[in-house]
Amino acid sequence: IPVSSRQAFPLPSLPRKQPTVLVVCGPAQNGAIGLVCARHLRIFDYEPTIFYPKRSPDPLYRDFTTQCEKMDIPFLSYLPTEVQLINDAYNAVVDAVLGAEAEAAEGREPCAAILATLKHVRIPIVSLDVPSGWDVEAGSSGGISPDVLVSLSAPKQCARRFLGRQHFVAGRFLPYDVQKKFELNPPKYPGTECVVAL
Amino acid sequence: DRERCRPHRAMHGPNAGSGPRGLRFLGQDEAQAIDQELFTEYKFSVDQLMELAGLSCATAIAKAYPPSSFTTSQPAVLVVCGPGNNGGDGLVCARHLKMFGYQPTVYYPKRPNKPLFEGLTTQCQKMDIPFLPEFPAEAALIDELYGLVVDAIFGFSFKGAVREPFGSILSTLERITVPIASIDIPSGWDVEKGKADGLQPDMLISLTAPKKAAMHFAGRYHFLGGRFVPAALQEKYTLNLPPYPETDCVLQLT
Repeated sequence: IPVSSRQAFPLPSLPRKQPTVLVVCGPAQNGAIGLVCARHLRIFDYEPTIFYPKRSPDPLYRDFTTQCEKMDIPFLSYLPTEVQLINDAYNAVVDAVLGAEAEAAEGREPCAAILATLKHVRIPIVSLDVPSGWDVEAGSSGGISPDVLVSLSAPKQCARRFLGRQHFVAGRFLPYDVQKKFELNPPKYPGTECVVAL
Repeated sequence: DRERCRPHRAMHGPNAGSGPRGLRFLGQDEAQAIDQELFTEYKFSVDQLMELAGLSCATAIAKAYPPSSFTTSQPAVLVVCGPGNNGGDGLVCARHLKMFGYQPTVYYPKRPNKPLFEGLTTQCQKMDIPFLPEFPAEAALIDELYGLVVDAIFGFSFKGAVREPFGSILSTLERITVPIASIDIPSGWDVEKGKADGLQPDMLISLTAPKKAAMHFAGRYHFLGGRFVPAALQEKYTLNLPPYPETDCVLQLT
């Protein structure tokens, strides 16, 4: 995610003076990946801020949180409902709210309120694996519209409905026999890159 | 502003790391202290850092020895893994080399009974990376079969005498002519003083920050890897790391 974010939004191209990025993390695995992403964005010299209202009790994910805190990545205590505040403060939003596993969560708080706000932001959204709130297969009507989608392992069916600017796949770690078994036919990754633009 | 991809001159030799701006070369105690702090204060897991370290090693190798540069018919690489974390780095490296189009083979004679290493071994095996039942008997055989050897035997915790089978392995490796890429410390070297009559690797991938032994490194390629050190930790130990290019996980020092 951070590598593809950097490819999609290289530092010199950002409109705001500071390379600020808002990373919105949901309560499960998708959110945890967002935490890892935020840490790498910090290493890449972006200025991430995290909104992580419902923290997972999983010890691994708790450690991810600690790593971010120790790297001086701020955690917001609330997400402004006033969308203009988000548009003004950040260059982009990383949507790590809900992934492919989410079904009931999207209707529940705090995800429902987050998604309602994100639907109206005017700055680019980078969605992690599945645009949050979309049905994994059917996609969405009236949900969030990300600018960039980073599919993890392989694209999900809803990615067919993706209308944004760039679609990346991050799945280079998949062993060859898993690729064959699920007939994934992945594209060739350039050089030593871990993401490829589709 | 950010510099583009180009090698930075490392400061090797007697003045290395002596000035306030110079890249620092760490002593063994410091290296261990930084490692401990990453685990206890920052709560990184060994798995996380080992994965990032191994990926750095494979990436550095791919930059210095691209598959097209091999004279063997396939880009065959022998990865020799020691009994500790350096060996674990080697297993991760082997897996990524496979994904980058190389044909790695692993020799892993002493395997710790821990889920981390068992998992890494399984991942390699499930990716059809062969594990040799015994070490090639002669240096000439290694030269014939492989275009590169990755030395993942001993790392920055190494102290004292070399136990078998690694003594014999290192003797053989000292006689091969194909290049050796050492992970973090050329195996058998004192972590601070080096070893004049020891292994002479062509490449060194220093992880986190170079150790003092690296000042005695005379090979062609010195890379820095392990791009996970938080800024506060870099400052605390005045590592003076040069900036990595863009999103690369390695930095070529020489």
